[in-house]
Amino acid sequence: MKNAPLARVTGTLLLTAFLVLTLVFAVQGSFETRGQIANTFARQSQIQQAQIDLEELLRLQIDEENSLRGYSLTRDPFYVGQYHQAASGYDSKEGAIRQTLRDQRLIAAEQLLGTYDHLQSEWRTEVATPLLRRPGERLDELDKRNKLFSDYETGTVAAIRQALANTDAALVHSTQEQLDRSSWVRAFWVSVFGLLAILFNTYRTRLNRELEEERTVTKILQGAFRSESVPLPHCEVGSAYLSATSHMAVGGDIFDVYRLSENRALVLIADISGKGVDAAVLTAFIKFMIRAIALRKSDPAAILAEFNAAFSKAVGNPYLFVSMFVGVLDTGTFHLEYGSAGHDCAYVRTGAGVAPLAITGPVLGVMEEPYGSQSIDLRSGDTLVLTTDGLTEVRDRSGAQLTERGAIELIERASPHAQEMADELVAQVRARAGSRLRDDLAVLAIRVGNSEPRHA
Amino acid sequence: MRSAALALVLLAATLAPASADCRLHHGQHVVLYSTTDDPSVLIWDSRDRLREYHAASFDEAQAMLPHALLVSPGTRAVVVSCVPNFVQSPIFRTPDDAIGVVVSTGPQHGLTRWVLGSDVRLLSR
Repeated sequence: MKNAPLARVTGTLLLTAFLVLTLVFAVQGSFETRGQIANTFARQSQIQQAQIDLEELLRLQIDEENSLRGYSLTRDPFYVGQYHQAASGYDSKEGAIRQTLRDQRLIAAEQLLGTYDHLQSEWRTEVATPLLRRPGERLDELDKRNKLFSDYETGTVAAIRQALANTDAALVHSTQEQLDRSSWVRAFWVSVFGLLAILFNTYRTRLNRELEEERTVTKILQGAFRSESVPLPHCEVGSAYLSATSHMAVGGDIFDVYRLSENRALVLIADISGKGVDAAVLTAFIKFMIRAIALRKSDPAAILAEFNAAFSKAVGNPYLFVSMFVGVLDTGTFHLEYGSAGHDCAYVRTGAGVAPLAITGPVLGVMEEPYGSQSIDLRSGDTLVLTTDGLTEVRDRSGAQLTERGAIELIERASPHAQEMADELVAQVRARAGSRLRDDLAVLAIRVGNSEPRHA
Repeated sequence: MRSAALALVLLAATLAPASADCRLHHGQHVVLYSTTDDPSVLIWDSRDRLREYHAASFDEAQAMLPHALLVSPGTRAVVVSCVPNFVQSPIFRTPDDAIGVVVSTGPQHGLTRWVLGSDVRLLSR
């Protein structure tokens, strides 16, 4: 039961993390595919450019040969210029293609281009240069060599062309594969995301239902366990509760204002050594037990003594003890009989200031000791302020406790109206503790004097 | 004497049953024109040399050139023999035919030689 909220939070966080992770995978997968495809397209574009360059290279090579033929037949120097221009263009284009083949790691094609370039260079040396020197002599041997070079270059270019075409086809195929794979992967992650979303929604719905059920149970339990205060004639009653452990607003502190008869009211505040739901269960036992005893006995000392004897036997836990203030207030005369079993957080605020009420015995549940009782006559405007040690022991950021002195100062400064006073004390504690609240706090304030007391 | 021997070899080849795959047949008039950058055509003194030339390295091919004659593009000839898929080039993927021809125009008029199938075009009349 204690780990249920943790499990819920963990479950929600885990599912949310999975959802986010799935979404991240789906989105990242898309971007990755986009990057891969962009890369493939860039490569494809480079290959296609190389194909165009190769055809251009071939044209330039033919230009070289034709210029040479032109010069050989006409001896017009114009053709020599054309020859050199074509040769220069050829070299530049060859360099560009070589770079592309290197970038694309087309080693075989690059080697072929090397062969091609070598052949062209040989052709220039063995065929072109002699013809440029002696254009009139059209030697058969040179023509045959020219033909040989031409045959080989044509073959080499065809092989390079084929290599580029193969690479281009492979890239197209690769793009198609990437798109296919990406579609499947994306479909997978979207499906997982969808399924997780459905799961998450189902989980949240179940969680909400559980929480709703819990809220209902809590409300019912609060009705049983929670401290109660009923309106008293001629009195203004205010109360507040601050639980250190849960939203249930129940814990190890309890207060109770219970009308024993028309003019008598039981006033109770107690602090059990423990907190949370376990301690809250015990508070119910204490509340109803004290009420039962108080209906039979009017002396707070007797109530405390009987409770002490019963508590130890009924609970059977030597480590569990209770500090308690029990008062019986005559709502006609404002006479208060009280007993305090180790409860040092009871005060009376009068026009003269705030005074703590004395302890009349040890805490309950430790040993069987006699308890005493005291009485006080309250006057109109006086306020009985009962709190638990959550007030005096609250720590600020530096770790300093408020102490009794601080509590008295707070009570002195608080609103004269009972409910406002209770709320202010709780607010002060909450502000002082911040997220460091470690103990429950119960506050019960009873301001007398709605009408003048009837003196006996 | 050498020409006469070659003629005999070609005649023997002609008498052999022509393969159904052969593109050209005995007696057909053709024109020589190369599909490479240089449209001139090398004509060879034997079909084996023709084949070796296309399978050889550049240096080997260069060494074989004395066994070939270069004829101008457009030179005409008559088919006397055809050996299908005889020439295998490591660069061109499909095999080519070896065609035996008698040159009918130009300086090499009357010579009987071997040429690559793709260098021969049927002369349309």
